[in-house]
Amino acid sequence: MGTYIIRRLLQAIPMLLLVSIVLFALVNIAPGGPMSAYSRSNRMPEEKKEAIRRSFGLDKPLPVQYIVWLIGNDWMEVDEDGDGVMDGYGSRRGILRGDFGFSYKSREPVLDLIADRLPNTAYLMFFTLLFTGIVAVPIGIVSAIKQYSTFDITATTLSFMGQAIPEFWLGLLLILIFYATLNNPFTGESLFPSGGMYTLGEDFSILDRAHHLFLPVLMGLVGWVAWYSRFLRSSMLEVINQDYIRTARAKGQTERKVLYRHALKNALIPLVTMFALDFPFIFTGSLYAELLFSWPGMGRLFYTAATGRDYPILLAILIIGAGIVVISNLFADIAYAYLDPRVRYD
Amino acid sequence: MNYRKMLRGLVFGLIALMLVMGVAGCGDSKADEDSNSITILIPDNPVAFNGINTDTGYEQALGELVMLSLAETDPDGNLYPELAVEIPTVENGGVVVDEDAWTMVATWKLREDVYWADGEQVTADDVVFTWDAMVDAGAWYAPMDYTESVEKVDDFTILVTFNSVFPAYNLQFGGEDVFIYPEHYCDAEAGFYEWNCDDQPLSSGPYILEEWVADDHLTFVKNTNYFEEGKPAIDKVIVQIVPEEPVKQAMMLEGDADLHYWPAEPASDIYKEEGNAADYVKSPSERWVMRLIPNMYVKGDRETPHPFISDVRVRQALRMSIDVDTIINDIFLGYGVPVWNDFFRPPFNSCGIPRPEFDMEGAKALLKEAGWEDTDGDGVNECHGCLNAEEGMLMSMEFVIYAEYGETLELAQQFIAESWKSIGIDTDLQMIEGAIMWAEVEDGGTEMAGNFEMDMWDDGYPGTDPSDQIWTFYSSGSDWNYGRWVNEDMDGWIDEFYGLDEEYRLEVACEMATILEAELPQILLFSTLEQHGVSTRLQGVLPSANDPVTWNVADWTLE
Repeated sequence: MGTYIIRRLLQAIPMLLLVSIVLFALVNIAPGGPMSAYSRSNRMPEEKKEAIRRSFGLDKPLPVQYIVWLIGNDWMEVDEDGDGVMDGYGSRRGILRGDFGFSYKSREPVLDLIADRLPNTAYLMFFTLLFTGIVAVPIGIVSAIKQYSTFDITATTLSFMGQAIPEFWLGLLLILIFYATLNNPFTGESLFPSGGMYTLGEDFSILDRAHHLFLPVLMGLVGWVAWYSRFLRSSMLEVINQDYIRTARAKGQTERKVLYRHALKNALIPLVTMFALDFPFIFTGSLYAELLFSWPGMGRLFYTAATGRDYPILLAILIIGAGIVVISNLFADIAYAYLDPRVRYD
Repeated sequence: MNYRKMLRGLVFGLIALMLVMGVAGCGDSKADEDSNSITILIPDNPVAFNGINTDTGYEQALGELVMLSLAETDPDGNLYPELAVEIPTVENGGVVVDEDAWTMVATWKLREDVYWADGEQVTADDVVFTWDAMVDAGAWYAPMDYTESVEKVDDFTILVTFNSVFPAYNLQFGGEDVFIYPEHYCDAEAGFYEWNCDDQPLSSGPYILEEWVADDHLTFVKNTNYFEEGKPAIDKVIVQIVPEEPVKQAMMLEGDADLHYWPAEPASDIYKEEGNAADYVKSPSERWVMRLIPNMYVKGDRETPHPFISDVRVRQALRMSIDVDTIINDIFLGYGVPVWNDFFRPPFNSCGIPRPEFDMEGAKALLKEAGWEDTDGDGVNECHGCLNAEEGMLMSMEFVIYAEYGETLELAQQFIAESWKSIGIDTDLQMIEGAIMWAEVEDGGTEMAGNFEMDMWDDGYPGTDPSDQIWTFYSSGSDWNYGRWVNEDMDGWIDEFYGLDEEYRLEVACEMATILEAELPQILLFSTLEQHGVSTRLQGVLPSANDPVTWNVADWTLE
């Protein structure tokens, strides 16, 4: 297994390198650019714009920009004022050495901006995934065991609805019901807040945090529970009709043991792949939940960077996201081997 | 195994959890009737307390809470001093013009009773420091082109030498863009765009920044060192960043917020209704004019005249066929006023240019006169003796708007296209991102490259002096003259407009207004309103087309 992990990590290096080239090229060749803010009815002279482009490193050809982004320019001489004379070594260290540059808009280091928002996104997405598991797994199991029962038909119908309802619309509906319509009978205030992570100006309290977490988690939960419960149902159905389950029952094992020790363990294996693919959301966040519930997270950071062509932020989120996808897939493969003794990588 | 029991438990558990959290949850950020604080809603995280390094448009608004300038403009267009004792003019001896060299010097006297929040006095050193910091950082705004030097005369006097007569000198250290920064506090080494004053400003204004949680909120508390006695009346200002319009609207109606910055027209319509917790306020003057930008040349080609847009009769017909009143009333729900000339704001709005008529038949007749007529009955005009196109060429063009404005602009675009279709002009409707529309040529920017035929967007100028905007849009030497309309007379009048003789400037403005009306290098339609939603308890909010709505935040009170 150790050799397998090392081999997979080594394989990830050229893959991430390739991904970085593709991402860098796609982001940079897309129409529009970071200088648009300086053009609209703002007659900044060309030499000033040129100085800004130079300070962002946008004056260099794209391959050079990529190299600087990747490995920095502190090993090469740069012309900072554009007078054709080299002014010394550059200051960028490149993403391979943890320097993701600075935002074109706020001029703050990209990693600082990400560090501000990542805990908020991880916090929201962790609870969304946690409750997805808590709700979806029992529904999936019972739906499979009680196939075509009233419960199964109801769960199937609701999960189709859950998958079909646009997330954004659902979020607005939740705000309309739980914020604008229903009131707390004791205080007369809205039952749930319209957004934010906590009540401004009040001391920290777990209850207050949970109160603010409820609607965004519920919004994310509906779609994910629908998806995971359907997936687990079909996976369970496949497993409980296998010969080894019949054998287990024939050996006189209790139904609980048959279902949980033999069936569920195997039915969960495909779910590991699905979870591995969803895991990067803990980093990238849910844009709709963050926009609607004014949640200061990664989704909004990415969105504003994309619309404002703030390339360093955009690229940092994309490449870190790609790295997390690669790593979470590796974890999924390792989990596979743990859950299914038939799987051997060595 | 009792699955039913298990599931029932799960469902009831979740419902119970929801109820417990809902009922027991701590109070929301509801604007507390008893507390002396207000909540302002904006959609985007500002990038800095820096009006020059603006991105979202909210940087200046928040800057007004904590920073002061030498001079500002009120909603009616009157200049007033802030850090300055008075506005220097030729009359009061503060401005001296060298008629021969056509240069000028302005002398600013500062108030001596203004202090930074840390107790240090605001002095001429701070003004010179601010200017130097901007220059050193390569920052740019219009006065940079005209300023020779900014020097300290004494602790409270500054001398500004201009390389040319510059009529907008009075807002060089003010208006909505420029704040004065403290020399003793800002990290000059880090520079104007990166220094601590961008995110931890030292206040000279009515409030002090207490906390800034990016993408979430900013909290400001009263500056007890503020120079105006007894102000501000409100102890705390919370600025919440709420991206979605329906959520902001719900918060206003629930009484959880006090100011909805730039609401969409439907929200304003609701706020106007009686009995709401919210109300609606608008500026006495307008600024943002929705305009059509016709490209005089073929798309992406600066040599070949456009087959029909280059003909002024066609441009006149295009304007004549647009029912501006219907757009204002039915699409923008009445939140606009007709505008047909760039000289529409005081003091330059007295030229008597009559409002153009909406006349479909007249438009058709003009097109026919210009050699464009539908003779084959397919609904699209063809060239029959027209000015710049081959015989038989169809009258068809792209018509582009920008995406960020939203649905109302899209509806206006469709409405205009329908009108043009009925006079035989076929349009291909498109919508692109603003980041593409106004990007540089090398980034695929359509405006700068002339890579468009007909665009529609809004623009305007703050303050009282339109000289820079007029030069930008209509001078043959400007790269921002997107339609590349060239008129020698106009160029001459623009040069004449850069003076200080107000009477003569009014005459020059009227000459330019007349040319613009005759030539229609841009087709101006209407001005959207500078409007805001306010809670019924918040008093004293006076929106301004010249400054962010927070310009007089020190005067706001709670009922």
